Amino acid sequence: MRKDSNLDVLTKGILKENPVLVLILGTCPTLATTGTVDGAVGMGLAALAVLLCSNVFISLLRNIIPETMRIPCYIVIIAGFVTIVKLFVQAYLPDLYATLGVYLDLITVNCIILGRAEMFASKNPVVKSALDGIGMGIGFTIALTAMAIVREVLGNATFAGNSIAFLEPYKISFLTKAPGGLLVYGLLIALVYVITKGKAPLKKSFSCAGCPNAATCHTACTEKGDEQ
Amino acid sequence: MLKNIKSVGVLVAICSVIALLLALTNQITAPIIEKNSAAAANKALLEVMPEGKGFEQVDMSKYTLPATVTEAYKETSGKGYVIKLTTTGYGPGMVIMCGVSADGKVTGAVCLSSNETLSKEKEYGKVFAGKDAAAVEATDTIGGATMTTGAYKNAIKDALTSAKVLGGENVDVRTPEQIFQDNLAAALPAGEGKFTKMFLTEVLEGVDAVYSADNGAGYVAIVGEEFAGIEAEAPTAYPAIADAIKAMTESTLTDVDLTAYEGIHKNVTSAKKTAGGNYVLEVKGAGYGIVGGDEYHPASGEYIVIRVSMTADGKIIDCLTVSQAETPNLGSVCGDESFSSRFDGKTEADIPAVEGIGGATMTTDGYKTAILRCFAAVQILEGGAE
Repeated sequence: MRKDSNLDVLTKGILKENPVLVLILGTCPTLATTGTVDGAVGMGLAALAVLLCSNVFISLLRNIIPETMRIPCYIVIIAGFVTIVKLFVQAYLPDLYATLGVYLDLITVNCIILGRAEMFASKNPVVKSALDGIGMGIGFTIALTAMAIVREVLGNATFAGNSIAFLEPYKISFLTKAPGGLLVYGLLIALVYVITKGKAPLKKSFSCAGCPNAATCHTACTEKGDEQ
Repeated sequence: MLKNIKSVGVLVAICSVIALLLALTNQITAPIIEKNSAAAANKALLEVMPEGKGFEQVDMSKYTLPATVTEAYKETSGKGYVIKLTTTGYGPGMVIMCGVSADGKVTGAVCLSSNETLSKEKEYGKVFAGKDAAAVEATDTIGGATMTTGAYKNAIKDALTSAKVLGGENVDVRTPEQIFQDNLAAALPAGEGKFTKMFLTEVLEGVDAVYSADNGAGYVAIVGEEFAGIEAEAPTAYPAIADAIKAMTESTLTDVDLTAYEGIHKNVTSAKKTAGGNYVLEVKGAGYGIVGGDEYHPASGEYIVIRVSMTADGKIIDCLTVSQAETPNLGSVCGDESFSSRFDGKTEADIPAVEGIGGATMTTDGYKTAILRCFAAVQILEGGAE
């Protein structure tokens, strides 16, 4: 198996293994917080901070955490960092805190975070885990921001809350609703598929082996693997 | 076993480290979060009390405040209070913030949220700025939004009352209706708090209204500000009033044959003459006015039925709405005693000036037209147009 360079680890999350648009993870916050660009960027950066901290912490403890106790340990670490990030956002960015609402707490159960902890940080050294966290966080932020730009600009005729007067008569309000978000999400996935055709590890990612929890789901993974 | 203990030990250690990190973070952020929360809360409070320096929430459990009050804040430098109220109009829903200065004047009022149909009354709170209780009472409601703006006005009055209570004044926070009922009960304890307003057919000198106890224990006569309790079977301090009431209740009414007279409007359906020579008439009023020479009520097909007692020389003794089917919360106000009593003691010339129902001009006009027809009928009855 080829060993990825640090640069590969950092960049793969941006497009090739983008957690949202290729691995189809974190769909709930993606749909919920992409109504506005501000909210999307805020959610992306908050998730990036949690990803970076939890990846580093889990990587540091990867040889200490017992195999049987790893999921509770990961959850405690992730929930702890989510709470820390939440407290800082609440203290220093109260407007963003009000915008993100409950979705900030829900980063705890964002499968991107647990997925990277299980799939990468628990098996790799600290630096690479940190780069993976940063790369995945940037990829998550870019995906959310791209989706939010489409939804806010075309759906609400605003950009980051600033009015775009000439688009006002043509705005498509449907895009600001949940079904509109799902449509934009699907279109962006299709766009990334077109751009990365033959390069993105789609087959692996969409199969059972590509699941971030594949390593913890031995039986199912074996069965699915056998079927293929 | 040892492996399990090690696993638990690692988890406990991780939990401890995370708890430590959380404690450190909380140590740093808690004062800032608290400051932010206070600033956010103050922002709304400052809107209604711009002069305020700081606010602290008042423990309302120590005071008896009007039921509409949900929160109360004291301005820390003693400039007054900010009262948050939830009131009712068409339904529960208007959340109003009202600032009251130390000298009992409104410093500002805003409607924070509402389930009601707010349009121009959205800005209604501004009209109260700088007003004291008397000026607030005199503020007009907005026609077409009488219920909403009336509720708004009542909320402001409650805020002013609350500020007095919080300031240590001994203020009665009961509703006027509760106060009235309490006064009736106090005037005639034997009535056990249950009274019904009597329809007066004779002039009782100086008496505004008479309430009879439902259990037959006696009467309470309203004489100006005084509540005069008259027990049925006991000596009373008001013998003249007691005799007059007795005479009125024991006298019989004589039917008047309206068909024997010409010119009485067909909507005047009955007339009776009292022992004192007064008349008791029943008349139908049309809430939606007159179309094509006749009156109709397209909504319900029902008239407003009004009973009026009147002296032979044309002065209303009492007025009562017997039945009505007007628009709820608008025209239906004509069924309230507070509306029909506006006609008590009025002559024909006074009727146009009687205060109407805001937002229910047609109902008011129909009601007044019916009353005027009673005056006309009495004139005919007395004039002998037989």
